[in-house]
Amino acid sequence: MDTNKNSYTIIYSTVMVVVVAALLAFVSMTLKDRQQRNIDNETQKTILSSVNLVPDIETAADKSAYVQDQYNKYITPLVFNTKGEKVEGEAFKVNLSEQTKLIKAAEALEGEARAKALENVKLPLFQCKMDDGSIVNIIPVYGAGLWGPIWGYIALQSDNETIYGATFAHKGETPGLGAEIATTHFSKQFEGKKIYEDGVFTSVIIAKGGAKPDTVNEVDAISGGTITSRALETAIRSWVSLYSSFLGQNK
Amino acid sequence: MNKEIYKNPIFKSNPVTVLVLGICSSLAVTVKLEPACVMALSVIAVTGFSSFIISILRNTIPNRIRIIVQLVVVAMLVILVDQILKAFSYEVSKQLSVFVGLIITNCIVMGRIEAFALGNKPIPSLIDGLANGAGYGLVLVVLAFFRELIGSGTLFGHQIIPLSWYVKNGGFYENNGLFILPPMALILAGLLIWAQRSIQKDLIEK
Amino acid sequence: MQDLLNIFVKSIFIDNMVFAYFLGMCSFLAVSKSVKTATGLGIAVIFVLGVTLPINYLLNTYVLSPGSLSWLGPEYADIDLSFLSLIIFIAVIAAMVQLVEMIVEKFAPALYASLGIFLPLIAVNCAILGGSLFMQERGYSSVGEATVFGLGSGIGWFIAIVALAAIREKLAYSNVPAPLKGLGITFIITGLMGIAFMSFMGIQL
Repeated sequence: MDTNKNSYTIIYSTVMVVVVAALLAFVSMTLKDRQQRNIDNETQKTILSSVNLVPDIETAADKSAYVQDQYNKYITPLVFNTKGEKVEGEAFKVNLSEQTKLIKAAEALEGEARAKALENVKLPLFQCKMDDGSIVNIIPVYGAGLWGPIWGYIALQSDNETIYGATFAHKGETPGLGAEIATTHFSKQFEGKKIYEDGVFTSVIIAKGGAKPDTVNEVDAISGGTITSRALETAIRSWVSLYSSFLGQNK
Repeated sequence: MNKEIYKNPIFKSNPVTVLVLGICSSLAVTVKLEPACVMALSVIAVTGFSSFIISILRNTIPNRIRIIVQLVVVAMLVILVDQILKAFSYEVSKQLSVFVGLIITNCIVMGRIEAFALGNKPIPSLIDGLANGAGYGLVLVVLAFFRELIGSGTLFGHQIIPLSWYVKNGGFYENNGLFILPPMALILAGLLIWAQRSIQKDLIEK
Repeated sequence: MQDLLNIFVKSIFIDNMVFAYFLGMCSFLAVSKSVKTATGLGIAVIFVLGVTLPINYLLNTYVLSPGSLSWLGPEYADIDLSFLSLIIFIAVIAAMVQLVEMIVEKFAPALYASLGIFLPLIAVNCAILGGSLFMQERGYSSVGEATVFGLGSGIGWFIAIVALAAIREKLAYSNVPAPLKGLGITFIITGLMGIAFMSFMGIQL
């Protein structure tokens, strides 16, 4: 057969494209659920580690089943709006990056328009019922770091103003500098800090040069990771502040 | 069957240290042994099967679109590997991130197809592809072994250097952080070539 | 604006394609024997990266990533074509390289004479596909950012290859142990250059 004819070349490439596309689409559809489960599992693990509820993760025989069990046992996902009202939706599926864009857009506005724009923001909240019966609320934070997104979860004790624990993660911060936010060494500092002082929202200050000893809301910044530290502080402030009415309501 | 097909690529004409093929993406994944092993297996699978498929098709491929057909076959295999890793080995696939995708442009894959698979029967092509992948994987694993052992004191994540040796526990030992950093992979690869060429003198460049 | 500058500087010095990710090493080692050819290939890489990244960015944002087809209508919002991205990216790169080659040949024959032979090489240069994959992985937020990242990465690659070629030209006069000659010493030099580039890591803008 003449393999150099135009018609042959065209038919050949068409058949090839169709076969390859069909095969890939089939594989992708078959594995989709499993892949999604892996990603969800990762998020669940991050949420749980902000309240230290995955202590046996290293020794568990089936890590993902362990995380899933712990998550189902302790966490109730909810979605709220900025007025503190519960809204429809799955907390788990809320795209934090999109919500952050909405928040950014709203923050550029003033007064009435701003409050109006913020109403559309979906605020996921993960309620964690601890073994002693107390409720810990876990709030996601998300923002742009120095080189890529940074995100994390902040857990608040039942008084809704003291931090129970926190975890942070990042996509591509500088190793050894900004990337240190993902270490427990850094996130441990947040435990016991207060985000409200006498009923006024103060958020957490990530202080360059070290936290002053007599304050209740300062943690040490990462030396050499100034931009990442500042970005994280902004992310925490803008996300947690939106939960103010919810946190006040539940007091 | 000719034994040289699978013996040569691993030692004597190793694609990385002798032919300078496909070092591109590989070195960045050699910080830890586990991703390096998975990467090695992925490359072996891709080189083997792409050579096999191309060899089956070799008499039907229209010459004008030869390179594109090869690229499509390789890309398809790489996507399959990537999808499977994401589904069954998520942790590792996160560490490998874009480097799985970069197997497509790994010269070793296209190199073997052009040099061997286009002119040989499917089974020898499969073996040639697998062996070249293995030779490549061997370099990855050797580099990762040293980088993880010296850089983190672990192998496959298990502590090898006794914890009591470390300075922070009152000992004398400290991990050499330099080995985790990217440049050390290149220097180690250079040393590896040195070692190989000291043994096989005929490879020395003039 | 500051973001763009950040990405630009970072992609040249800190996330250097060669020293931090070892991308494009094959051609990097093959053509780094003389400064002149290295310059030619370097310029071609900058050019192709600068052209393919915005195209792949648009494809990724409006066709490939999950939910990106929603501009066609709400019923398309659930489609996720991201598994096709590798194949599409490589096709775009191959097509762009071909196109660039034809345009350069037609309108700038002098440039083609000096650059032409490198262009086909570039289609399988890992640095080019790597650029597109990193762009997807890091989720840049606009075409501008993607373009700047592409140009920056290209310039970083250019600097690396020209510097290495210059060192290798001088190396001809040094007394390198025989088994280390050629490939071995080049690896080690690249590693040492990588260490030098790491001093840029602390840069913050």
